[in-house]
Amino acid sequence: MATTATPAATTATAVQLPLGQADLADCIEWQSVECLNENGNHTFVNALKQGYREDNGLHLESDADEQLLLFIPFNQVVKLHSLIIRGPPEEGPRTLKLFANRPNMGFSNVTDYPANDTVVASLENLEGKPIPLKYVKFQNVRSLTVFVEDNQGGGEITQLQKLAIIGST
Amino acid sequence: MIENVGKNSSNPLLHSSKLFFSVRQSCPKNRVSRTKTHNCRSFSSSEASLRSDRLCASIAPSPSFQFPSPASANMVLEATMVCMDNSEWMRNGDYVPTRFQAQADAINLICGAKTQSNPENTVGVLTMAGKGPRVLITPTNDLGKILQALHGLEVGGEMSMISGVQVAQLALKHRQNKHQRQRIVLFAGSPVLSEKKTLESMGKKLKKNNVALDIVSFGEDDGEKVEKLEALLNAVNSNDNSHIVHIPGGDRVLSDVLISSSIFTGDGEGGSGFAAAAAASAAAAAVGGGGGAYDFGVDPNLDPELALALRVSMEEERARQEAAMKRSAEDSTAKGQQAGESSSVPDVAMSDAAPVKITDKSSDMMIDDDTALLEQALAMSMAEAAQAAAAAGGGAAVTDTSMAESGGDDQDLAYALQMSMQEAAAAATAAQGSADVNQVLGDQSFVSSVLSSLPGVDPNDPSVRDVLASLQAEEEEKNEDQAGKDKSK
Repeated sequence: MATTATPAATTATAVQLPLGQADLADCIEWQSVECLNENGNHTFVNALKQGYREDNGLHLESDADEQLLLFIPFNQVVKLHSLIIRGPPEEGPRTLKLFANRPNMGFSNVTDYPANDTVVASLENLEGKPIPLKYVKFQNVRSLTVFVEDNQGGGEITQLQKLAIIGST
Repeated sequence: MIENVGKNSSNPLLHSSKLFFSVRQSCPKNRVSRTKTHNCRSFSSSEASLRSDRLCASIAPSPSFQFPSPASANMVLEATMVCMDNSEWMRNGDYVPTRFQAQADAINLICGAKTQSNPENTVGVLTMAGKGPRVLITPTNDLGKILQALHGLEVGGEMSMISGVQVAQLALKHRQNKHQRQRIVLFAGSPVLSEKKTLESMGKKLKKNNVALDIVSFGEDDGEKVEKLEALLNAVNSNDNSHIVHIPGGDRVLSDVLISSSIFTGDGEGGSGFAAAAAASAAAAAVGGGGGAYDFGVDPNLDPELALALRVSMEEERARQEAAMKRSAEDSTAKGQQAGESSSVPDVAMSDAAPVKITDKSSDMMIDDDTALLEQALAMSMAEAAQAAAAAGGGAAVTDTSMAESGGDDQDLAYALQMSMQEAAAAATAAQGSADVNQVLGDQSFVSSVLSSLPGVDPNDPSVRDVLASLQAEEEEKNEDQAGKDKSK
């Protein structure tokens, strides 16, 4: 698995993806993407869509508290490999819980079932270092729910500049 | 389909109600509730009875009649839970008629507005006071069910706003259609017992779960209430999706104030369209149903099928009446005279009948009675015309004016009388045949009793008395003539 370190720059840099894997942004069903507790001025588009997500000035921000619940359906069945995120060192997310194939989740039932994977993002990850996922758990994914539980600094606002999903179809 | 029904029935009232039924059944999308049905029934009989030129003129292609354009309706797909306050404070009568009743009316309006703006919108209702929050009806788009659920509610206990809103949130979470946005409408009538902090955190939770909140603050005001509710609103509000309305007590009707508020207009153009229509139809109902903003007291926006059905049946009936009148005018010989009377009599009878709430049966009976009575009355007036030209002219004029005066809005009665008068003038000899009728009419008391039974005629009216007196004189004249003739034989 060859990865290159990505310099922390405001312009887009090509991350060499592992063989056979691709950025799944094209497979996202944009009509049905939902993000709970997002700030109206800083929506998920800033973090997910190509073009927006590369701009570090645009970010997804939480509203009432620091948690975020992001529901991403795909238009086909995919296998997930890893995640690439980027965020500020203080407000960036720390604990991410991932649920596969669970539509219509709310903050109240994040504890109802165990997450398919739980990721703790380090500061390097916030710079763009890919976060590997438990590949075997994400073989047959129709939709992905990302629950951002807390952030690095522990403050009230969580900010996420980029969220890219790497996998294969 | 409309034409078929029209051909079958002869009775115009039955015709229009039959027509109405078939239209209703044919429209699968027509979610007409029970109360609407009742209203429409009275409208259908009233429109047949209010057969006047004025009304006919008003329905001839009126530019104001238009179907609602889909572009104007606001299509936000939404599931709404209405939290109703049924605590003890709602017994107070500072809103008309009681706080609770005013609230129920407002809830009816809201449900109507929501389902109107988008047919897939759902509305549910729960009550907050008493033992605890109780969901009366889960979000549904069936207005009839909602209205039924609001029926027979009791007032009592204390309201718990926090648990009420939480239950509402839960009900919304389990809605059928997950694509619907979530909204809670909270009626806060009793004093707010919760702390401001608790309310704020509840508001934050609502915002986090993407639930909008509309607050209707009315009833009790203990000073802090406004502040607390404003704080709650600020906590929930995200991008102006939540609103608050304060409605102080007094003579104002709760639902009227609500219509013009942002809770309705905040929905967008569709909401305000319904609100404007509701306000206009309320005004029309106040005027007296039918004469107001719309042709039949039925808003074409609210119920286009009904408005169209009424209009079509009215035009058909008018055409039928005209054809009948023509026919009677053509064969106005001895028999045609009576036919002319009877064809104009239903016209007259229906306009005489009370405009509101006649069943088919009673108006049938009325027609039969009035047919006989009016035949005699018209024969009476025609007898005058036949006897002596000058006297007939004077008598007819007197009759005309008397009839016109006695029934202020019975212009069509005068019209019918005029028509029959014309027929009588054309067939002078035929009038002789009603000699025996005149004998009956010669009896003053009988005539006055007949006249008193006519709804539009007041026997004590001096002009009517003049007519009777002139009749009396002519009867005597005629008798003298006949006596003279007999003698000469």
